[in-house]
Parts: sequence; C-alpha cells; structure tokens
Amino acid sequence: MADIDITSQTMDGMGPHGTKVGLLRVLGPAHVWALGVGIVLVGEYMGWNFAVGKGGAYAALIACWFAGILYTCVAMIDSEVTSTVAAAGGQYTQAKHIVGPLMAFNVGLYLVFAYTMLEAANAITAGYLISVVAGMTGYAGELDQRPFIILVIMFLAWLNYRGVLATLTFNLVITAIAFLAILVLFLSTSGILGGGIMQHTALFEGHEMPYGWIGVLAAMHFGLWYYLGIEGTTQAAEEVRSPARALPFGTLAGIMTLLIAATLTWYVCSGVLPWEFLGDGVNGSVAPLFDTARLSGSNGLIWLLGFGTLFATLASANGCINDASRAWFAMGRDKYLPGWFGAVHPRYRTPYRSIIFLVPIALIFALGAPLDQVITFSILSGLLEYTFMPLNIIMFRRKWPLNSIKRGYEHPFHPLPAVTLLALCALTFFAVFLGYGTQLVAMIGFYIVVSLWFHFWRYRFVNRGAQFTMPWPKPQGY
Amino acid sequence: METWQILEYVAWGVSALLGLYMVIDWMKVDSSYSEDVLTSSREGELEAMTEEQHR
Amino acid sequence: MAHYEPPKQGKASQLFDVIVLVILTVGALFVPLWLGMAGAAKIVAEPVDSPTWESLGQTAAQAAQYEALGYDPASAHDLILARFDYSFSAGALIAMIVVIVLYYVLMLKFSEVEYREVIAEKFGDRR
Repeated sequence: MADIDITSQTMDGMGPHGTKVGLLRVLGPAHVWALGVGIVLVGEYMGWNFAVGKGGAYAALIACWFAGILYTCVAMIDSEVTSTVAAAGGQYTQAKHIVGPLMAFNVGLYLVFAYTMLEAANAITAGYLISVVAGMTGYAGELDQRPFIILVIMFLAWLNYRGVLATLTFNLVITAIAFLAILVLFLSTSGILGGGIMQHTALFEGHEMPYGWIGVLAAMHFGLWYYLGIEGTTQAAEEVRSPARALPFGTLAGIMTLLIAATLTWYVCSGVLPWEFLGDGVNGSVAPLFDTARLSGSNGLIWLLGFGTLFATLASANGCINDASRAWFAMGRDKYLPGWFGAVHPRYRTPYRSIIFLVPIALIFALGAPLDQVITFSILSGLLEYTFMPLNIIMFRRKWPLNSIKRGYEHPFHPLPAVTLLALCALTFFAVFLGYGTQLVAMIGFYIVVSLWFHFWRYRFVNRGAQFTMPWPKPQGY
Repeated sequence: METWQILEYVAWGVSALLGLYMVIDWMKVDSSYSEDVLTSSREGELEAMTEEQHR
Repeated sequence: MAHYEPPKQGKASQLFDVIVLVILTVGALFVPLWLGMAGAAKIVAEPVDSPTWESLGQTAAQAAQYEALGYDPASAHDLILARFDYSFSAGALIAMIVVIVLYYVLMLKFSEVEYREVIAEKFGDRR
C-alpha cells in the first residue's frame, strides 16, 4: 500500500472509480481489537458453559484449548488474506477474489447469519440479566423482558446508524471493563489476593469425565463459543486507517486476549460451581461468571460481574450489528443482493439501509427462538465459514504465490495451519452432529437451496469482471 | 405503580423513539439525495488509489 | 470474451428477492423447531425417589455449593441427573458426511465455473 496518505480528508472515500459517498476511514488498531474481542468476550460470560454440560469440566477445558488452536489458525489465515484484501465484507470479499462468486455469496450469508444470531443471543441474555437485577432489587412481579430486549437492539442499531467511530469507541470502553472484570474476579477468588474459594479437586471428585471421551468430542461444539466472532475484525477493513498493519495486529492481539480470558473463566467457574449446574445454561447457570461472583459473597464482585456481563452482551451485539451490516452492504454493492442495500449515509457514512433492514430480522430471532437453538445456528454458520477458510488460503497461495503479490502479513508453516483447521472443523461437525444433527442438515439444506437460487437467478444482476476489484495480477492457472 | 413497571414502559418508549428516529432520518436522506450518490460506493477504492499513484 | 452487461433490476423485483431470502432464512431456523426435531434434549434416565445429596452422587463439598446456590436435593434432582444421549446410527453419520461433502463440492464446482468467467472478463482471454 506504499506511500499513499489514506487518512487524507480530501481523498477520503472518494476514489477514482467514482465513489461520491464512501465509508469513513477513521479506525485504529485498538478499535479493531475492540471489535474482535468485544464480539467474543460475551462467550466467556455466557454460552461456553454448555460445553461443561456436554462432557464435564475437563472436557470443557480440553475443548477450550482445541478450539483455541482452531481459532489461532483462523486468525493467522485471516490476517494474511485480509492484509491483502482490505474491503468491507471481509471473508466475503476474500472468497469473491479467491474461490468464486457462489462461494462468496454463501460466505456472505454465513457472516450475516452468524452475527445476527449472536446479536439475538446477546439481546436475550441482556433481557434475562435485567430481570435478575429486578428480582435482586426486590421486584415481586414477573418482569416483561421484551421491552428490554428490543431496547438493546434498537439502541445499538441507532448507535451504529450514527457512525462507526462512536460505535467502536463505545465498544472499546465497555469491552475493556468486561475484560478487567474477569481479571479482578480471578485475582480475588483464586487466592492470589485475599482468601481463595477454589475447590477444583473436591468439586470434580466422582465427576471427572461424566460421559467419557465422547463427551470431550461433544464439548467441541460449544468450545467454539469461547472465541466465535474474532474473525469479524476483517469487516472493519474499509474503515481502518491502515488496514495492512492494523488488521493483523488487532486480530492477533485479540486472539491472545481471548485465550487468556477463556482459560481464566474456565478456572474460576469450574472451581466454584458444580458441573451439572454450570453445564446447564438454560435451567442452571445462564451467566456463569456472575454466578461465581454470587458465591464469592462479595457485593462488590457481584455488581462488577453483573455490569461485566451486561457490558459484554452489549459490546457483542454492537459488534455484530456492525459486522452483519458491513457484510450485507458489501453484497448489496456487488448486486449479490438487491443493489438498494449498497447505499452509504451521506452524513454519518454508514451502510444505513443494511443496518435498518437487519433490525427486524434480529428481533424475530431474539423474541421467537430459545437461546441454545440461536447459539447453535450461530455456531453452525461460523463452522461452515471456518471450513471455507483452509480451502481459501490453499487456493490463495496456489493462485498467487508469495512473490506474486505483496502481503502485509504472511502466516508461518503453511499449509500446516490450514490442514489443522480442516481437521478440527471435521471434529466439530461430528460434535454438532451428536446433539443437533437435524439442525445441521436443515442448515445445509438451506444453503443448498439459496445457492441454487443464486446461481440460476440472482447472479444475472452481477457485473462479471468489475466485481474483481483488487489490483492483483492474473491468477496462476487461468 | 412499581419502579420496574415504569421502567418497562420507558424501555418501550425509548425503543419506539430510536426506531422512529432511524426511519424518519432514512426517509429524509432517501428523498434529499439521488440514488446514484447514495449507492456510489465502490469496493477497493484504496487499492485503486494506490494503483493510480504507481502508474 | 464478450463483456457481460447485467440487466437493471427494478424496485419490485428487488423487494421480491429480499422477501424470498427472509422466508428461506426464517424457515431454516423455525421449521426444525416447529417439527419438534430440534434434538439435544436432556433426559433423566433413572429418577431417584425422595432424593438426598448422597443418592444424587454428590459429596459434602458439592452439596454445600448447591445449597449456597439455593437448591435442595428435590429441586436439584432434574438438574443433576439429566444426561444427553450420544448414541447414533452409522447411517445417520454417513448421511451427514455425504450432505456436507456434497454441499462443498457443489459449491466449489459452481464457483469455479463463475470464477473462470470473471477472470476471463477482467484479464482478457489470452492463453
């Protein structure tokens, strides 16, 4: 990207192709970190504990680390490709340039699906949390959670509508607080500061591996939840001041933060909560870190983790709206979806029509479906996306070997990460199959139907050559 | 009426206001700018700028 | 290769495409739910009559945590004893593998056809 001043205000968003109103380039690496970690950190506050239910506490730890390897591969591969393909739409744009249009359409839908579902899951959790607070403050009646669920989605959509800088700065602040809350909880309950309340040995006694090794496999399904969404950093590519540097940096710093947060979370929660309670995210522990704080007996910790949970859900929903709308916008811009969605707000410089359109969709899921189903659909879309990534990087390296185009970041040991990622994805497909085989098939059935719809109907509206926008040489083998 | 019941109504109200704000702004923008300007964003502007400079 | 000029899509047609997508999306989520095929329910296979912490397999330390959380043996009974059923048939596993592999093969094949067209138009057909 050499010596061009991409922060220039006069050229900003107005390039030679005739863009009159484009997205605003205002973000730095910290925003990228906040977008990536912000989306995911809620996974430590809720949802990951379904993995404990699937196979016990040890299984959840093994799944946590294997999923960590999976996501490290994802982050490495993603960083390399995205440091070269810097455009809103992230993996969608990568697929369009590297694999082909139909794959790109599918990847775009994976992204929108995964993020919108995750957004719905966050809103559900926020609503639940508010009802718990109502109960704690002595409200006797049954709180109606719906207005709060709707408020969360509406407020964050409004924030996103008004501009990306404020949105992600807000995310940076609340994500940092949520992360610090985990650190404080760890320090104050593990015995490092003051008295420890950890009793891993006593709590695990007799329940080390309640399902044996198949439980460990099954736990991989929800093991993804510790990190799901970190790949969303690439969606900011068109709004980052120097994408080739900030994206790899923010993404890799993000995955490191998450590996730490995930392990600490497992440690404190499994050391305090019995596994049957911890593992049941519906009837038992909906918000495990919050429940851990409740058993610590410290009012300060209860409030800190209560706010941590709320902030984490908000940060995540916020990032999801940001990412889903970017992907939807990018597909509209290329006419993969109706071109109407490819509009940018002339004052706020956001993809405003995509943001508005996805609000009712998120509401349908948040108000109409149970939490574990919503999470499963999000995970499945993510999983299909991670399966695409190794194919993507292998084709990328084959069509454009290292010396043919300049990359901002080159990941080491190729093709080892790609092969590892593919193997771990296969394992996770099996884990999902163990509990949610029907949904898996329904989901793939859905993608097959929309793929046919795209190939035989929708693709006629797409410009053939013009959709390839990167200044790359002709791919090898064509 | 209890505080939490009031908060429920406040949440409904604020949600409606935020929704209304977005819809009204959307209508205003759509009617005061031409569709060509609004959908003029193209992918890969940064890359295209770099390319032009190196030509 | 000849330059492909896509047709302009009218407002009504755009709207129709969006509606089709939304119906498909909502369908994919809710049809399994409505048909009651959304599995993964936990079942209490061997209920215990008048449960105590011991008969639920809990040690003193574990029971203490449950009590701190506000449970007694009766209210914790279902939570503690519910288990997943991981048995599956080889047929179902093979069906799943076939569906997934078929999906990716289909996708890569169609993508490749479309991609060659894109590259040919972008870089000209010189071979």
